[in-house]
Amino acid sequence: MADQWIYWLKELGTEHNNLVGKKCANLGELTKAGFHVPPGFALSVGAYDRFMKETEVTGRLLDFLKTLKADADNVADMPKFEAASREMRRIAESIKMPADMEETVKKYYAELCHVTGMKDLFVATRSAGPVSHPGQYETYLNVSGPDDVVKNVVRVWSSTFNTRSVIARARLGLPLHYDAIGVAVLTMVDARAAGVMFTINPLNGDESKVAIEASFGFGEAVVSGNVTPDRYLVDKITFEIDERVVSDKGAEFAYNSETKEMEYKELPVDMRKIPCLEDREILELTKIAKKVEAHFGCPQDIEYSISRSMAFPESIFLVQARPESVWGKKKKEAVLGKKTGWELLFEKATTPIKLKTS
Amino acid sequence: MANTSVGRFPDPHDFEVPKELEGWEEMYPPQRLFSQDRAEWEKRHFWYQDKIHAPEPMYPLDDIFQEAWQIALSQYTTRVFCIPPAQGIAQRMIGCYMYITAVEPPPPEVIGKKAELFGKRVPYVFQNYNRLWDHWYDKFQELGKEMEAIKIPAEFPDFVPDDEVFPKPKGFTEAHEVMESFNTIISLIFKAWQFHFEYLNLAYLAYLMFVDTAKKLFPGIKESTIGKMVAGADVSMFRPEEELCRLSRLAVSQSPVSNILKKDTSAAEKIKELQSTDAGRMWLEEMERIKNPWFYVSCGSGWYHYEGSWINKMDVPFSYMKSYVERLEKGEKIERSLTAISEERDRIVAEYRALIKSEDDRKSFDDAYNVVRAIYRYAEDHLFWVEHWLHTIWFRKIREFGNLLAKYDVLKEADDIYLFNRFEVPMLLEDLATSWALGIGAPTRGKHWQGMAAKREKILEAARNWNPIPALGVPPTEISEPFTVMLWGITTDTVAEWLKGSDVEAKDLNELKGFASSAGVAEGPARVLKLLEDVVDLQPGEIMVAKCTNPSWSPVFTKIKGAVTDIGGLTSHAAIVSREYGLPAVTGTGLATSVIKTGDVIKIDGGTGIVTIVKRA
Repeated sequence: MADQWIYWLKELGTEHNNLVGKKCANLGELTKAGFHVPPGFALSVGAYDRFMKETEVTGRLLDFLKTLKADADNVADMPKFEAASREMRRIAESIKMPADMEETVKKYYAELCHVTGMKDLFVATRSAGPVSHPGQYETYLNVSGPDDVVKNVVRVWSSTFNTRSVIARARLGLPLHYDAIGVAVLTMVDARAAGVMFTINPLNGDESKVAIEASFGFGEAVVSGNVTPDRYLVDKITFEIDERVVSDKGAEFAYNSETKEMEYKELPVDMRKIPCLEDREILELTKIAKKVEAHFGCPQDIEYSISRSMAFPESIFLVQARPESVWGKKKKEAVLGKKTGWELLFEKATTPIKLKTS
Repeated sequence: MANTSVGRFPDPHDFEVPKELEGWEEMYPPQRLFSQDRAEWEKRHFWYQDKIHAPEPMYPLDDIFQEAWQIALSQYTTRVFCIPPAQGIAQRMIGCYMYITAVEPPPPEVIGKKAELFGKRVPYVFQNYNRLWDHWYDKFQELGKEMEAIKIPAEFPDFVPDDEVFPKPKGFTEAHEVMESFNTIISLIFKAWQFHFEYLNLAYLAYLMFVDTAKKLFPGIKESTIGKMVAGADVSMFRPEEELCRLSRLAVSQSPVSNILKKDTSAAEKIKELQSTDAGRMWLEEMERIKNPWFYVSCGSGWYHYEGSWINKMDVPFSYMKSYVERLEKGEKIERSLTAISEERDRIVAEYRALIKSEDDRKSFDDAYNVVRAIYRYAEDHLFWVEHWLHTIWFRKIREFGNLLAKYDVLKEADDIYLFNRFEVPMLLEDLATSWALGIGAPTRGKHWQGMAAKREKILEAARNWNPIPALGVPPTEISEPFTVMLWGITTDTVAEWLKGSDVEAKDLNELKGFASSAGVAEGPARVLKLLEDVVDLQPGEIMVAKCTNPSWSPVFTKIKGAVTDIGGLTSHAAIVSREYGLPAVTGTGLATSVIKTGDVIKIDGGTGIVTIVKRA
């Protein structure tokens, strides 16, 4: 695969983390394992490298950076970094990708349109760092048409120059002009509802539960924390919905077809407080979550989307899966103190139960 | 109830019952009443109404089971298996209702001694339970047969027959035998209740231990899930229902039989009609063959003489079979799949177990699970044999004593015998024996006894119309008696709920809290079933509201959308059966049958234990 820099998701797996970035590799792994993932393709970190090195981007960035005198640890210099970021992104986005790359990306996109049977298919272009950079780089939704796809792939690349990343690299003493990432180009799911689920109770680390958060519209509403989602806690083993909290969700993150932008749109009053998932969807999500966790062998943090136009259960798509970061790493300590059943019985028999009465 | 101050209930010694109940104390022996001579001890305890065993006013003779369990339950905790800090459960009557309390802990030095004995005796039971159960079963069968063998004559002979005089003189008469038989049956029922508790305290203790263990490992695990983990599928308690299913299938294979069973006629008419055909006779023969023990099922809890059993209320099993036959003919499956239940239980245990990260914890969990599984089925098995099978025999025999007394006008009706406590009945029998012995024309004190009976019936009627206070005295700060927690479900929340309930009139409550016994949500019209006989009014899709249920109610669960009970924890009958049928259930609400009326639209959430009255009928 040495010179190859673009792949269908199904050609990828976790072992390709460094090649295409974690998100693409995981989506590939999920696709290969038979999970329902929106069809798409991935540009490797090599593609980023080619763009940077085969065009004049690198030279122009380096020239520009010679003029930057700013200290990342000095708060007063932050405006300088903001200005620098703007300029670096302007430079990167003003330069076209090599012609053969552009042609290939368009070919893949055309194939994706063909497979899904959609003309000018809506896709999302998502960043995928080889090392985890949660939320650091950017994602562009509802991209449609070959030219826009090419343009937005470049935008994702240029997001490696967004302010917070440039500052982060400056602090770590890393080169500011280069941080190779992969890009995923995924079919958009026309989301009726979407959200995040954990294959563990994020509040107490109880691994017998799946915690699901959901909101109307696209999943960014939940991921970004801009909307108070509905919350469900489901027992993985009995499939009983132990808790359900239906929130006032206020707004949904939706596509405005006039401005061609994603935006928060206020929900009609009668929709705000109705649950955005049906029980069968909650249970199906739980089943899927269990399978994903079993596949990767550790608690997972999963993003999903439920299509408005497709029939259940084909309507449920996974758009991200990664190891849960808080409890997943903690070593589970024994809580029963090496006691035998008899010792536990004896302990029970000798310990009175306290009642809180006064 | 103005004297209910925050955090405590009225002092039992100051508590007054409505004046219509005047004279109620005379029905019960003095040791069963609150008394000034024991006031200091009684004041230190928290007394709550035992709605599980005595939800109704107690007929004096029905009170015998209570007396028997007070001794039996308590002694296994205090003197036999010696659960270290726990003591027995004491009972007191107030206004014909029974109140109970977990006795305060013994002095520290006794706890130490008990711990030693507990450590020596209890492991033996767990290690040998299967053998011990076989032994228990054998001796209990023997006891039941002994009780069954007691003969009570329908009447006394004018003169004893020749063969009692020669060649081998008997030396005593039937009149003497009747007195003796009553003493025998009293001894047998007390002994049966000794056996009843032989392993129950330990079964409950093991269950509570497993709940603690599971909750330490999985903070979010629900008790209903734990219930599923320990429940046995092939227990005696479910056998009567299985027999009904089997008889229904047999009927469907012989259309003349099934056609008769489907009719809207009484059981007696159906039996008569069945006797007129060959297929019908064969089917009846099969039913007769299994009737003892599997139709010896009380139509209620088994604690009240008026509830009746299937064998003397055949309309009950026949109404179940009618609906089974109809369902079978529609191609539906009526049996619970025991394998499926066991497999589901094993799957739940295995999957939870797989989540345990630490090797040590997994070992402890396995061990704890084996301990509870070794004995837990006792909690389900004993119930059929004692409360149903043996009580059915008991009530039949007692009715025969009643018939005899009524025949000679000592009593007006046979069932009036239940208006006399077990110390008084021998007086009635002796009075009868004396009058027979004295010869023609010697009167009994029938008028006196009948007058007493009439007065007591009135008092009980008044007691039924009284809504007794849920508790008396000061709530405790800790509990170590296993039944108090597990069976009566006494927790901080229940006590708080009672304190709240005592300030609010039942009719004003719109939300009740109970145990989340079987997950799921249901909304629909309520059907309040005070007696099992009310089941004939039940419509499919209604939510059943009952004081408590028992095995003879099982077929009801195939018709309803959900269940609510006043009494019972997570391992109560209603909870177990609801989980099996996948119906939402909230148990132990305390007040459901008094707050909810038939026809009210209610919503029950078996995941949270909340029952809401959505719309009053």
